[in-house]
Amino acid sequence: MNTPAPDDTLLSAWIDGELPPERRAEVEAWLREHPDDAARVRAWSADARSLRSALDPVLDEAVPTALTQTVWRKAPAVLPDFAWRRWAAALALFVLGGAVGAGLMWRVQGNSAASPALASSGGWVQRAAVAHSVYVPEVRHPVEVKAQEEHLSRWLTRRLDVPVKLFDLREQGFELVGGRLLPDASGPSAQLMYQAITPPGAASAAAKPERVTVYLRKPDDATPAAFRYEQQGELGLFYWVEGKSANSGPTGYALVGALPRDKLLALAEAIYRQEPSRP
Amino acid sequence: MDAPTAFRQQLLGVIPRLRRYARSLVFDMHAADDLVQTALERALAHWHQFDQRRDILVWTISIAHNAYMDDRRRHARASLVEPSDGFDPDASQPAAGTDIGLQLDLVKALGRLSLEQREALLLVTLEQLSYAECAEVLRIPIGTVMSRVSRARIALRALLGDDGDGKGAMPPQGTLRRVV
Repeated sequence: MNTPAPDDTLLSAWIDGELPPERRAEVEAWLREHPDDAARVRAWSADARSLRSALDPVLDEAVPTALTQTVWRKAPAVLPDFAWRRWAAALALFVLGGAVGAGLMWRVQGNSAASPALASSGGWVQRAAVAHSVYVPEVRHPVEVKAQEEHLSRWLTRRLDVPVKLFDLREQGFELVGGRLLPDASGPSAQLMYQAITPPGAASAAAKPERVTVYLRKPDDATPAAFRYEQQGELGLFYWVEGKSANSGPTGYALVGALPRDKLLALAEAIYRQEPSRP
Repeated sequence: MDAPTAFRQQLLGVIPRLRRYARSLVFDMHAADDLVQTALERALAHWHQFDQRRDILVWTISIAHNAYMDDRRRHARASLVEPSDGFDPDASQPAAGTDIGLQLDLVKALGRLSLEQREALLLVTLEQLSYAECAEVLRIPIGTVMSRVSRARIALRALLGDDGDGKGAMPPQGTLRRVV
């Protein structure tokens, strides 16, 4: 072979896929013939992989609220405050679309319809509905971690940076199946899945068990938001944002299920009562 | 005029990548998030300068890079923090199956590279920018990116225990060296 030895710059550029085809072929031919250089190049690639695996976990961290708020903050002194409010209200109307206003069952602390938490809720509530539809039909792998595993709550709490409590809905006829971690727009979210308790001896083989899911996330904004109901086809959704309290950060909740509204409401109330922020 | 919603949505989308980049530059989570915050504020203030045909990640990384350089100039007289001091292994949990010891060595070694080499290496290997994009962020010619990346690789390898020697030399008896 009469091609000159590629220098380190060329070998490095080869790793990064920055060489034109003919140079690439030359370098590849050289590396086949020179195991020593090939080993060096492999070590460089391994270093790059280690760098990524050391820093990639940052991508999964929940985005600090301060950063999200920075993005939504209006430019100072450019617009009067009411314009921002109006903009947020318009967005709220837009994202909530056909949401039924009558779904306002009760109010949690002071709430403003124009709060950014609500304005941006349309997105995550939608994701809660999609996550429900994706995982509920699963027969063998409906959840990532089963309810019996005691670390479920700790694991989700740690990853979400909000307290994740495993709500007890047995009184309402539902038992916990387990939970999973899901990606949300600005960080991780969690889904808890519950299943209707089948009475012993009942012919359960035929019908699929009724399932509901609870979607939790760290909200973009700490502002508490009212309890709302939305109907999407056969799916009913109750969602709200619980504000920060002494022992927990703000948490966004969405309860999703193909149940009659009163039944779903009973579950939502049970969850609301059991929220970690409540004594 | 204030930044439009669509632009804000785009910014939200790049926050996780900006945070990773900032963390790789300053290691400390809070200092890194401060840098991200500054970058986001500047991006919002100059949103009208953003050309939608460009990649918003590259644009915002450029802003973060400039903010970091400004910050360094401002604190030029302050002593440099040993990166590993500020690096909290709990704050950034390693993926399952990775060696924490190795990662800490790696982060430490990274902190010992010259800033020029470190930034070029991070943009290309961690952020996986092309040499052209990296050149744009750092405002240097592509050829300079190429040599900085290669020198950074050799320096990092040397810090991690391999002298990275053997440049252009014939392989000694054709044996394989230590494979990491």
